[in-house]
Amino acid sequence: MIFTPQGGLKKNRMDWLLFLSVLILLAIGTVSIISSVAVLPNQARIVRVQFMAIPMALLAFSAAWSLNYQVYQDQWKYVYGLLLVMLAGVLLFGVVDKGSRSWYRLPFFSIQPSEFARVGLILVLANFLDKRIGKIKELQTVLGAFALCVPVFFLLIKQPDFSGILLTFPVAIIMLFAAGASLFHLSIILGYAFISGLFPILWSIINLNPELLDNTLVSYFFHLSDSGWSAFSFAAAVAVGAWMLWRLSVKLYTNVTGLYFAGAALVLILGFFSGVLVKHQMKEYQQKRLEVFLSPETDPRGAGYNLMQARIAIGSGGILGRGIFSGTQSRLGFVPERHTDFILAVVGEEMGFWGMLLVTGFYVILMGRIMQGARLARDRFGYLVNCGIFGMFLVYFCINFGMLLGLAPVAGVPLPLVSYGGSNLVAMMAAVGIAESVYARRYALV
Amino acid sequence: MIDRQIPQERLELLWVLAYGAALIFIIRLVNLQVVGGAHYRELAEKNRTQVIAQAAPRGRIFSSDEVALATSKPSFSLIYFPGQAKTNAEIDRMAKALSRPLGADYDDLRKSIYRAASREKPVRLAENLPPKIMLSLSELKAVYPGIDIIVEARRYYPFGAYLSHLIGYIGKIDSRDWTALSKDKNYSMDSRLGKAGLEKMYEGVLKGKDGGIYLEVDSRGKVNKVLESRKWVPGADIFLTVDSKAQAAAEQGLKKSISGKGAVVALDPRTGAIIAFASAPDYDPNMFVLSGSEREGLPAGKILPEFNVALQGTYPPGSVFKIITSAAILESGRVRPEDKVFCPGYYDAGDRVFKCDEKRGHGNLDFIGGLAKSCNVYFYVNGQRSGALTIEKYARAFRLGQTSGIALPDEKPGNVFGPSARAAKKSYWFIGDTLNLAIGQGETLITPMQAAGVISAVANRGTFYRPYYVERIVKSDGQLLYKGKPEKLSTVEMKDSTWELMREGLHSVVEEGTGQVAQIKGAEIYGKTGTAQNPHGKDHAWFVAYATVNDQPSKIAVAVLVENGGHGAASAAPIAKAVIEAALRYDLKPKTPTTPAQPEKARAPSLPQAPVPAKGEL
Repeated sequence: MIFTPQGGLKKNRMDWLLFLSVLILLAIGTVSIISSVAVLPNQARIVRVQFMAIPMALLAFSAAWSLNYQVYQDQWKYVYGLLLVMLAGVLLFGVVDKGSRSWYRLPFFSIQPSEFARVGLILVLANFLDKRIGKIKELQTVLGAFALCVPVFFLLIKQPDFSGILLTFPVAIIMLFAAGASLFHLSIILGYAFISGLFPILWSIINLNPELLDNTLVSYFFHLSDSGWSAFSFAAAVAVGAWMLWRLSVKLYTNVTGLYFAGAALVLILGFFSGVLVKHQMKEYQQKRLEVFLSPETDPRGAGYNLMQARIAIGSGGILGRGIFSGTQSRLGFVPERHTDFILAVVGEEMGFWGMLLVTGFYVILMGRIMQGARLARDRFGYLVNCGIFGMFLVYFCINFGMLLGLAPVAGVPLPLVSYGGSNLVAMMAAVGIAESVYARRYALV
Repeated sequence: MIDRQIPQERLELLWVLAYGAALIFIIRLVNLQVVGGAHYRELAEKNRTQVIAQAAPRGRIFSSDEVALATSKPSFSLIYFPGQAKTNAEIDRMAKALSRPLGADYDDLRKSIYRAASREKPVRLAENLPPKIMLSLSELKAVYPGIDIIVEARRYYPFGAYLSHLIGYIGKIDSRDWTALSKDKNYSMDSRLGKAGLEKMYEGVLKGKDGGIYLEVDSRGKVNKVLESRKWVPGADIFLTVDSKAQAAAEQGLKKSISGKGAVVALDPRTGAIIAFASAPDYDPNMFVLSGSEREGLPAGKILPEFNVALQGTYPPGSVFKIITSAAILESGRVRPEDKVFCPGYYDAGDRVFKCDEKRGHGNLDFIGGLAKSCNVYFYVNGQRSGALTIEKYARAFRLGQTSGIALPDEKPGNVFGPSARAAKKSYWFIGDTLNLAIGQGETLITPMQAAGVISAVANRGTFYRPYYVERIVKSDGQLLYKGKPEKLSTVEMKDSTWELMREGLHSVVEEGTGQVAQIKGAEIYGKTGTAQNPHGKDHAWFVAYATVNDQPSKIAVAVLVENGGHGAASAAPIAKAVIEAALRYDLKPKTPTTPAQPEKARAPSLPQAPVPAKGEL
């Protein structure tokens, strides 16, 4: 046991430790943003937006904290409807930035609805799982949860916003896991996701090493995604192969139900088709990022250069850092996207190992307090909501850190509360507010 | 608490996930920041600093009358800083845009930019940009970040081919130089260094200390601020003993001569300082400054006329050798100078008849007459009397067959032949050899530098100095680094009467003999013509002379060789006269040598540039 139950019995309306860690992360982030944009031409705008976003984020936090979270359960249809409308609307009325149509342009700032949709989806999923808790071990529940996600994913692909899916999918898995879904079902889902991710990666590897195409089998595999017929032939081959294996197992008296073979084949085929979909929807720069992650030396001057420069920035900070506002790597522009995705490079360079330890430590505390909220929640909905929010922060944390330290591909994922990004900050503070609301209302009669 | 159907252990599992991820990240951070901190700090420093090396201006080279012979002038270079334009596509585009105004090959340009980008070092894409191109380049500069135009000091030889064989030239560092100099911090891949002549010999003092601007640049290669600016130290200036006007006279004389090939060496008999040093054909050292190697700078199909006739050309001395034969005759004691020899126009050596230049014969000649008329028969007869061995001895005493000792590379020693040399080769000596030896034909070969040494020794009565051309070297801060001093190599010991007779004989050569062309009003000229027989073509013309004014010690001794110039008196003597006139211009013109100022300008031969009024002569 990591948490003592007594800790939660105090009748605080507010989890001050959670709030403190949020404020510290926000402070570190703001200082780093100001430092990193010092030489950018649009620095005034960025700083202005950041200082505009902070009060709005605090407002969203207070509003979400004061509002009883159970409202979301009652009105889940509106929440779900609103988020779908927001995502659909951005495809019609949004503006394009960096190749994605994902922004609402307002007079003073822009809003990215997918950030809010992510939080909304957590609420909707929590409600769904709460309602279906009796049948949580059934496959229908798992599929139902994903059925709720599918429209959102579809709208995100249309933008296109792959990192949005990359962030939302694991959150759904974590919530299902926390709700007590069958591990077998979860592994089917994970297998599906794994296969749909595996195919594009394999194709990228072949792309990087053209000499592999000399092998006919590899060549056949590589051209699978080219046309519908070859894709269909692959699906048919997998189905026939699964059927033959099942017949074999029957002949061998292994007593394995055919369901498993059918399921495995289905997962493989579905994963293959979504892999093809992903491959065809992937933008060139995303393809490039994947390739760079797989072999960083292919383009040391291009995409790999960015990652290398970020690593130099962090490393050059040493233990004590080079001093706030004194990092040469980030201030002179060697680190790309330094105020958003690579904000940690700035922290690492200017504040050193201790700064990074501070960020990591307060992130762990933040996640721990949200989890504590889940533990103490008065109802299952609150528990699931907090688990979702916890999962969301965990996924952000892992992908952003991992990307920076070369443990994950560059995915364009910011670090919430630290990175620059108004919509993201407001949405994340709202999420923390909801988590606080769950914590504050942990007793039925408070 | 209500039962919320929550599997507690799953909560703990999720928590462990977060914890574990944080732990992995911290381990990775320790690796990056704590362990690798110093390494990455270095990389970051390398990232942000860019050095523009600024080549120090090379030391200048002056003549003794302070005319700048090699100097520096500003030139504009196009530099590429590896910055933002780093991706291959960008470099390709930039190279394409630059190749047209520069007139450079697209592939070469692209390659050099690629190399610079991968090494993260700036590179000069073009040098010495003409103003026309500059305008279009400065437009491109705005479009393509990373290229810039800078000013540099560039070597410049104002008079082109003037004194080129002594000065030499500079060029780009090549792979051979690089292996020797790569450890020297003062040289980089694109520095220039002396490749020949003085530029090579005095590379160490001429080359200053390069400076550099250490810039902080951002990722686009744009300069952010200057971190440090290290000023260069210019190289030391070299002042030569060469007189600009005498040198000009020598070069013009050679250029105007029949063949345009030859050499002039003028020495100061009092010190051994070189007053003029010309060798034709010559070359314009400016053409190597820009291009890399020698081959690049030359027009296609041409060979560099690097051959220094004054030091490396060996020729039969012809009648010039009669100076040495005279010394042998007078010193042998077997011939009295007033003894007459009858010249019928030929000499019968028994098995073969040797001819004199004058077919009708010179008649009766004593020593003075024989030398003045350059009568072969006189020297055949008396050469035999004094003996071949004596002539050989004096040839060696006058330092033939050995290098003059001048500080220039590849000097040829020439050849002395005589009975002892033959004996060493285990061969025989014949009478014919003695006759040939006496008049400077046969196997004797000398360089113009040796001829100048001989006449200079006659002028100062026997002393050989090491010829030198650096009068002084002055550091850029005015400090004297080196002062050229006369260095006595050897002396020829002879009787005073011998010197006096030789002097008289050489004087009569110019007064009434073969060298009358060389007469100068106001000065006494002592000379000897020479016409060296050349089996491959026209004879080589020689003239050696020294001059005195008002019975003062001689200030100039000159040797002139015109290859295939025919008769020495016709083609070589006028050049010597012009050189002597130019060198003695302060002594000759004014009747009273106390006021030499006014007439000097009027008298000055056509020179490329009027020199700074000199502070008197050396």
